[in-house]
Amino acid sequence: MKALFFAAFALYGAAVILEFSGTAFKKDKLLKSAWYVFLAAFAVHLAFIVTRGIAAKRLPLSNQFEFANAFAWGVALMLIVMRPRLKTDWLSVVAMPATVLVMTYAALQPMEIHDLMPALRSAWFGVHIGSAVISYASFVIAGCIALRYLLSVRKGNPDERALAQMDYISYRMVAFGFLFLTVVILSGAIWAEQAWSAFWTWDPKEVWALITWIIYAVYLHLRLRMKRKGTAMAWFLVIAVPVVFFTFAGVNTLMHGLHTYG
Amino acid sequence: MKNLFRYLRSMRFGILLLILIAACSVAGTLIPQEREIAWYAENYPSAHGAILMLRLNRVFESWYFIALLVLLCLNLSLCSLLRIRTVVRTSRGETSRAAAMPDTVLLTPEGTKKLGAYLEDLHCRKESLGEAIVYRKHDLGRYGTFITHLSILLTVVFGALALYTPTVTDQSCMPGESILLEDGTEIRVLDFHITDETGRLDYRSHVQVTLSDGRQSGTAELSVNHPFSFGSYKLFQQSFGTAGSVTVTNLENGGTDDFLLTEQAYLSADGATGIYYETLYPDFIRDPSGNVTLITVTEGSYPNPIYQIEVISDGAFTPALAEPGDELELTGLRFTFNKPVEYPGIRIKHVSTLFNALLIASFAMMIVGLFITFFYEPVLVKTDSDGYAVGGPKPERMRIELGEEFREYERNMKEEAT
Repeated sequence: MKALFFAAFALYGAAVILEFSGTAFKKDKLLKSAWYVFLAAFAVHLAFIVTRGIAAKRLPLSNQFEFANAFAWGVALMLIVMRPRLKTDWLSVVAMPATVLVMTYAALQPMEIHDLMPALRSAWFGVHIGSAVISYASFVIAGCIALRYLLSVRKGNPDERALAQMDYISYRMVAFGFLFLTVVILSGAIWAEQAWSAFWTWDPKEVWALITWIIYAVYLHLRLRMKRKGTAMAWFLVIAVPVVFFTFAGVNTLMHGLHTYG
Repeated sequence: MKNLFRYLRSMRFGILLLILIAACSVAGTLIPQEREIAWYAENYPSAHGAILMLRLNRVFESWYFIALLVLLCLNLSLCSLLRIRTVVRTSRGETSRAAAMPDTVLLTPEGTKKLGAYLEDLHCRKESLGEAIVYRKHDLGRYGTFITHLSILLTVVFGALALYTPTVTDQSCMPGESILLEDGTEIRVLDFHITDETGRLDYRSHVQVTLSDGRQSGTAELSVNHPFSFGSYKLFQQSFGTAGSVTVTNLENGGTDDFLLTEQAYLSADGATGIYYETLYPDFIRDPSGNVTLITVTEGSYPNPIYQIEVISDGAFTPALAEPGDELELTGLRFTFNKPVEYPGIRIKHVSTLFNALLIASFAMMIVGLFITFFYEPVLVKTDSDGYAVGGPKPERMRIELGEEFREYERNMKEEAT
């Protein structure tokens, strides 16, 4: 089963190399190949998730490896959904490496399948963790688009229409991710009340999810009410991505709390 | 005064409060909370004075953190009230205002025709005002931010009530025994097991609650993630333990006493001879020469428990180990070591179901509010024979969408003009 994971990892890596080469040498054939290889990687990755779920007899989302694996898959899924809608390929050059980055983190985690501990045997398990996957993946994609925006501006003579589209799409991704992060926090609160008897315990993971929520709430207020757009907001989204990674991986690695499962 | 009020309800102030709450929260996770004062002195020798003075050891209970939350509530209240007033005011006569908007994008006649069909396909309501046609939909969308802000306010208020009004006590109870609460409520633990029949961790007990007014629950199952509510009490599977079980038989009269041991204890009839119970180990390994290695940690039920005791006789202390089933006779007493007993730690919470229900309703309201805000945006498009203009509170999405969709009709017209 691990072979499927590493096959997907290798294919994602190959897609990134082809994408970079295609962009550097302006070869459409290479870019097209990169996309097809990426789709193949995604399919293999999905097969891995399904087989692992069958083997574990549960949703494969219970520890750092499984969450990181699903997170990487979520980033890839977002890219696949977004690319045809955007009718452009400017997203791939940043979103593909983001997928590989998360896969690399997943590959460094212990991969053994463990029985689900009693605290995780709940109807909220899928909702809470599944929403976190969608939310974090959306924020990463928003950060990737913002990075692409900054690179386009830096290159000089950017296409204004493309910039406006990037700015808008990154905002939409944040809005989407923000809705799901809210679901994560609220479903987590209800679950916490059932499992630990309190809706909120100021556990480090809860607090960092709240900090992430506040950061993106500030972004949305600046964007929607103060009408801030452009380079400053793109920087905001790029800088926010490490906070998302810290909430996802840093808290579990560096801080001890009730969410220390995997 | 007016300026202060304006600042208190401003978004700038709201954002400042959010940033300060986030900053305090970061401090609250970087500095371990609610430890002994000596711990901070030991681990932060140069900074512990500042930590204690600024209450960074209890950030989330500090006066300044609570003040920030109160100010946020104030800001949200004022902002929500004023927002709804503005939303209602601007929504009145919006169609006629939209009809008067000048075209911002000029289209070819074919383009305007297609635009009308396109907007009808989007299920927009159509209203003709003179030469202009105004298309609109998702009017509810304008209330999204109001609903969201109100729900956040309610969440903070009901969250505080749900967190700080319940009384919580943790109690251990042996199977077959009861916990008696101050108001006369009795919680009887019928049984408990750490692992199920397949060896999987389970932590499940059966309980029965009798309220002070005499009402009695049926036998209810209690496990992790599955609390049991009865009356205003909610019971949670909180912790667990394994107790040593020793039966002492008086060999002269045949009388027996059963002891469940969770801590060190001395079992003796005369005070001079008996056994001193030290602890219970979950597992051990005995090598071929008979030496025993004790295993102190295990997950789940004790697979191979062993008692560590001291046999006290005539003032002499002799360390010994006893396995379940072993017996020891000492001056008229027989000590029988039984299979250890697993027992639950139950959290008993006296809750207000109303606050909990209102809090969960606020959660639902927040999700609905956010959905409406971001995915049910009001659409307001005015078209005429020359082109179109997009209005309403959130025109950006429609501007981009129509710009993409009808770009070729703009381009053609420019070409015709040149």
